[in-house]
Amino acid sequence: MNGPVIPEFGRGSDCVRDRELFCADWVADNWRGVLLPRLVEHVELTLVAVAVGFVIAFAAALAAHRVPRLETPFALIAAFLYTIPSLALFQLLVPITGLTVATVQIALVGYTLLILFRNVLTGLRSAPADALEAARGMGLTRRQTLLRVELPLALPALLAGVRIAVVTTVSLATVAAFVLPRGLGQPIFDALREFFTTKLIAAGLLAVLLAVAADALLVLLGRALTPWTRARRAA
Amino acid sequence: MKPTWRRVLFLFVVMGALLAAGCGGNDGASVPPVADDDAPPATETAEAPPQQETAIVLGTKNFTEQYVLGELYRQALEARGYEVELRSDIGSTEIIDAALTSGEINVYPEYTGTALTVVFGEEGSADSAEATYEAAKERYEERGQTLLEMTPFSDSDAIAVRRETAEEHGLETIGDLADFPGRLRLGGQPEFRTRAQGLPGLERNYGLTGIEFVPLAGISPYEALNQGQVDAAAIFSTDPPLATGDYVVLEDTEAQFGFQNVAPVVDRELLDELGDDFESTMNAVTRLLTEEAIIAMNSAVAIDQRPADEVARQFLEANGLL
Amino acid sequence: MTVAGFRPGLFADGIRFVADNPGLLAEKTGEHLVLSGAAIGVALVLAIPAGVVLGHLHRGSFLAVNVGNVGRALPSLALIAIGVAFLGIGFANVLVALVVLAVPPMLTNAYVAVDEADAEAVEAARGMGMSPLQVLLRVELPLAAPLLFAGIRTASVYVVATATIAAIAGGGGLGDVIVNQASYRLAGVIGAALCVSALALAVDGLFAALQRAVTPAGLRAPVPPLEPEVGHARIAL
Repeated sequence: MNGPVIPEFGRGSDCVRDRELFCADWVADNWRGVLLPRLVEHVELTLVAVAVGFVIAFAAALAAHRVPRLETPFALIAAFLYTIPSLALFQLLVPITGLTVATVQIALVGYTLLILFRNVLTGLRSAPADALEAARGMGLTRRQTLLRVELPLALPALLAGVRIAVVTTVSLATVAAFVLPRGLGQPIFDALREFFTTKLIAAGLLAVLLAVAADALLVLLGRALTPWTRARRAA
Repeated sequence: MKPTWRRVLFLFVVMGALLAAGCGGNDGASVPPVADDDAPPATETAEAPPQQETAIVLGTKNFTEQYVLGELYRQALEARGYEVELRSDIGSTEIIDAALTSGEINVYPEYTGTALTVVFGEEGSADSAEATYEAAKERYEERGQTLLEMTPFSDSDAIAVRRETAEEHGLETIGDLADFPGRLRLGGQPEFRTRAQGLPGLERNYGLTGIEFVPLAGISPYEALNQGQVDAAAIFSTDPPLATGDYVVLEDTEAQFGFQNVAPVVDRELLDELGDDFESTMNAVTRLLTEEAIIAMNSAVAIDQRPADEVARQFLEANGLL
Repeated sequence: MTVAGFRPGLFADGIRFVADNPGLLAEKTGEHLVLSGAAIGVALVLAIPAGVVLGHLHRGSFLAVNVGNVGRALPSLALIAIGVAFLGIGFANVLVALVVLAVPPMLTNAYVAVDEADAEAVEAARGMGMSPLQVLLRVELPLAAPLLFAGIRTASVYVVATATIAAIAGGGGLGDVIVNQASYRLAGVIGAALCVSALALAVDGLFAALQRAVTPAGLRAPVPPLEPEVGHARIAL
């Protein structure tokens, strides 16, 4: 009996077949099909995780700011989550939330909580006593004080927290590919299995560039939103 | 004083928008999501496209051959009008079997010998490919699943060394490793350490003790061999690098690694619902998979770095299944 | 019991795994410590002298501070991946990646600590006729010690945590158990994770104690970090 038809699948370039260190042609050919989609997924994962983490941490910090007794339990929970090695946490969540994006997102959000909670709380507390006095003297309600005095003064710490959270999440999201093939971690793990250095370098570099670019962007954003800190720095 | 709270509000709005956008994103984990399959819509067939109530969730393990198999089955099914969700890269046998029993997936391609030894805890596979298949099928059916037809090819575990190593120490069979000078460093998938057909099996069948096992979690064992991290490696018989001739597969004289044909494990309920058309679609793909075919596809993906979905598509087209 | 079956007693299972597998975990912890220790050691040699000298000379602030910023942003798995591509799998490669991750916080803190050591004290010392070297050793370094050690502490905890991923690149350590749920089940994953956490916390405690020990008595009030990020321990990786 005749076997199946085995078509020509298309030879890889000599660079790829000989496994040279870096094959630019592979990157060019696979940018749209492999690297870019993974990059987009990675950005998505990071943004959602930091956004959700921020909302939760902010609410918790506001509460702790009002009710100082709440700080310790919140901080303890967040710190505990933070201590779990990510490789382990991703695997632990799979039986609960399945092999879905939700699993990865939950873990990533968990890791942002400690950084964001601490920084938001520190920021909220950084309003000098005389500023608060002045606000009260002006007849501002508690809410007005929060919005017009405490929050703006908290911005630097808040943004610093977001900056660390984003950068940390980009890093952790690469590890997430251990349980779910999304994000830039997926080509990295893949390339380790087939030992294809071009993909290792391409995906690795993309992750590094993403993290550094996000960091720089947030620095710029910080400077734009808090021009008074720049003045202090220049002094 | 400038209303800086406006800036803060703006920041929150932006984040909220991003959050909403992110949460609207798709769930599930097919690889790759952007490269939509080029499978044409279901062509005219004798029977009408089947009514499908339960989604087919097809899983695969975490290595090249499984990605290829996943794409082959997915595209063939979609060409017939079925809705398939492909969850690639789930993990090793233990993990993917758990996904099956917990209902997260309802189909995946399994190796008959591995099913017997890893899933069902037997000590070894049976005396022939057919016997192994039948035994595995029986065990699955006790559990509410079943096996569809098996492939012509068998992808068995094997132990390989570099050609230089084989020539230097006169290694031809696995048993020859007993005379290896010093402590033998054997690399392999982490689960090899504890599986019945893994390290314990080497001790049982070949009397090989004192092996230093080097777990290679997702790293190419051939790379470990090349770089001298290990002296021998537990690999798979359809791995593309074997075709280069740089490695020697040691003979498994005690038939430890047995028979490992691939057969899709299917949830019984799913099969009953989808019926003969589903079964015959899957089997049509299975029958095409000779050793030559699967090695060619594995090579295209691993060595030539062609995308798995492309390779699968080309194969199915060439054989009239798309 | 299926491998991935989740039961509330899983945490207890993890502890039981540790109790039942002392040999395995001791071996893996040993590997983990050797890898971490080597990385911290190399990073110390590279970063501290450079940071201290630059801070003493009040030069290279742009470099020192930005190395810290960029270094902190580097995704560890990506670095390991690039390292594997160039250096292959195994101990040496992972060591290099960990050193690259550990140097920035050490360097930045060392620089800032010495650079911003109380200027008046330094002036006074110089006025007393001390040579630059004496000023460095007797005045700047003791004043810089708390912040300097904070940087070493941060970097060390980070290295211990990140060494977990080393298993993916053939580096060994407790990560070997964590990536092998197939063999060791979730109980093993948890048990090994607990060991990593315990190890990280122990290292943190050790360096915290060292930090206190080298802080001159007069400065023992808790030093607030210069920026919210400095002194921030990262364990999650």
